[in-house]
Amino acid sequence: MTSSKTIVLRSSDGATFEVDEAVALHSLMIKHRIETGGADSTTIDVPEVTGNTLSKVIEYCKKHVEAPNSDDLKSFDTDFVKVDQAVLCHLAKASYYMNIKGLLDLSSKTIADMFKGKTVEQIRETFHIKNDFTPEEEEELRKENSWNLFV
Amino acid sequence: MEWDSSSSSSSSDLSGDDDGGGFLLNDGGPLPFPVDTLLQPAPCGFVVTDALEPDNPIIYVNSVFEIITGYRAEEVLGRNCRFLQCRGPYAKRRHPLVDSTVVSEIRRCLEDGIEFKGELLNFTKDGTPLMNRLRMTPIYGDDEVITHIIGIQFFTEVNLDLGPLTGSTAKVTVKSSDPFRSSLLSCRLTPDETRNSSIGLSGILQLTDEVISLKILSRLTPRDIASVGSVCRRFYEVAKNEDLWRMVCQNAWGSETTRVLEAVPGAKRLGWGRLARELTTLEAAAWRKLSVGGAVEPSRCNFSACAVGNRVVLFGGEGVNMQPMNDTFVLDLNSSKPEWQHVKVSSPPPGRWGHTLSCVNGSNLVVFGGCGTQGLLNDVFLLDLDAKHPTWREISGLAPPLPRSWHSSCTLDGTKLIVSGGCADSGVLLSDTFLLDLSMEKPIWREIPVTWTPPSRLGHTLSVYGGRKILMFGGLAKSGPLRFRSSDVFTMDLSEDEPCWRSVTGSGMPGAGNPGGKAPPPRLDHVAVSLPGGRMLVFGGSVAGLHSASQLYILDPTEEKPTWRMLNLPGLPPRFAWGHSTCVVGGTRAIVLGGQTGEEWMLSELHELSLASSVI
Repeated sequence: MTSSKTIVLRSSDGATFEVDEAVALHSLMIKHRIETGGADSTTIDVPEVTGNTLSKVIEYCKKHVEAPNSDDLKSFDTDFVKVDQAVLCHLAKASYYMNIKGLLDLSSKTIADMFKGKTVEQIRETFHIKNDFTPEEEEELRKENSWNLFV
Repeated sequence: MEWDSSSSSSSSDLSGDDDGGGFLLNDGGPLPFPVDTLLQPAPCGFVVTDALEPDNPIIYVNSVFEIITGYRAEEVLGRNCRFLQCRGPYAKRRHPLVDSTVVSEIRRCLEDGIEFKGELLNFTKDGTPLMNRLRMTPIYGDDEVITHIIGIQFFTEVNLDLGPLTGSTAKVTVKSSDPFRSSLLSCRLTPDETRNSSIGLSGILQLTDEVISLKILSRLTPRDIASVGSVCRRFYEVAKNEDLWRMVCQNAWGSETTRVLEAVPGAKRLGWGRLARELTTLEAAAWRKLSVGGAVEPSRCNFSACAVGNRVVLFGGEGVNMQPMNDTFVLDLNSSKPEWQHVKVSSPPPGRWGHTLSCVNGSNLVVFGGCGTQGLLNDVFLLDLDAKHPTWREISGLAPPLPRSWHSSCTLDGTKLIVSGGCADSGVLLSDTFLLDLSMEKPIWREIPVTWTPPSRLGHTLSVYGGRKILMFGGLAKSGPLRFRSSDVFTMDLSEDEPCWRSVTGSGMPGAGNPGGKAPPPRLDHVAVSLPGGRMLVFGGSVAGLHSASQLYILDPTEEKPTWRMLNLPGLPPRFAWGHSTCVVGGTRAIVLGGQTGEEWMLSELHELSLASSVI
């Protein structure tokens, strides 16, 4: 028996999204909130996630709930994470907070792939990370972390 | 209480919005007391944690919490509140001035499911000490289970001069008698650029440590983690975590290898981080000599040795009168004074030499083939070393391979025995590959069908790498009517539906190409040690020409262009080393038994190639 109940999700910046309850339940955090919130919790605040990210999360949940066995699920996932690192990190953060394991694994794996084989500088560039070591610390690190075979 | 919360995130505060930030603030909700009594004359922090999740992660903080502590909601959600006991965002340990008896009291109240009231020293993000008058209340759901913990914090200034927060990029707050006002001021005055996570630019630093280490970094290789640790302070701290390194090692080397490494007793075990580094760089690898007690008598050669955890097991061999032997000996290298001990077994297998001994199913040993008194054998015997009364049991498998000696073997997945090649009756060299799955109740031999095999041979080695790939090296190989020592390398991927032999350059064509670099001189009966991560070390054996058998060679078959390299390590290598009597104990110590001169066959002086530092 499928319920046609809908839930409204509200992002941190006030954007609202109406989704089928089944789709919303894909997030274990929302499932928990619904189950503990009583019968009349139709609006759930998701203050940790902005509207842009929440809309993408919902898109993921929709696809995975409505067509979990479809052949193109894999290609959907592949295309879904073809976004820049900032969006990917927001997705990872949102899926962690909203407890959506599939999306967390997918976004984490994609982020991990962006690290592979990169030098320290390349990692900083990719993720816009500032080097906050002092020159002395950097020198120490260079020695500590130079893993050379046949030393 | 009016807070001009200019932060765009953050939800309702305690003044109770109608639509509610969540179920907690609904009237008639599960709070044990009316919301009004929560309101204090001064603003207080309000935190909710999820008691059903491990370690009580924060699921909500109010804007007062954010302003006073300096931590924004998105930085702390998912984390346990204890980070407030650390001074500054990079500290990993509770500050020594935080009263640990109060912390224990909090823990006790949580365990007993009762309310806690007390005072605890906390720190803002920029290191300012605050006294936190804390009240923690458990919220019960159905079935008497605690579903949430509510924390109410009333922060006051504390007179402590702790000096500047070293290594912090946050700016120092303006001190004033009113901590809230000064924090507010500093919040408005502090530009975002001083923090290393300009919101909107570096998304990754907004993720929690748990997500970064367990979900992202754990998928990287040891070398990549080393680079990550040099990127910024936050990553430096995250990359030091031993649990992360354990996951990295397991992902990089497989669970079999990790299991073996983990079995080394704690005191002698390096941390995972150190182990990963040393097994990648081999910077601490060295030759050592080891003296052990006991004796393997009667003396013999051509026995087979194998490692079970930290024990070396030896079976059979050829006695002084060429008679095949059938006794079993164990050397426990965990013991402070290791000594050879004869294992009393009932009904040992028929005596033999030129057989293989391999470790399967944890502590079991499997013998296959060899040359006995009646000729060549193809029987299989299994011994559980950890059984109360160890007994050799014959495994009668259907359609066994041809009887043979000087074949090679290896273990796949810790449960499957693979044998290949060797010398059959009338001196015929073999080139087949057979698999016996010893995890099954009734194991059946299965030949691996291939369209092409490398030239048949004896005295070669089979090593396992990358999970289910095997690498064959060297041996005495057939070449027309003649036989030559070989230094060829062939690989096979047993995870494929139709496995086939390939040369390392990837081609399936016979003789298509060997690794680059200076290959080891051709040899048979040599030692091939698999390193975690797939590389292979080769030394010893019967080497063509005048070359020294003790020179070490290393090959990484997983490289794009696998290349042989020579490896020179400190310490004195043995003059002789033979494949059948060398095994790797504890994943990092290659123990070489016996040589060629008379005394060494007593096996009281062993050579060891230790791949990592020993911590004794």
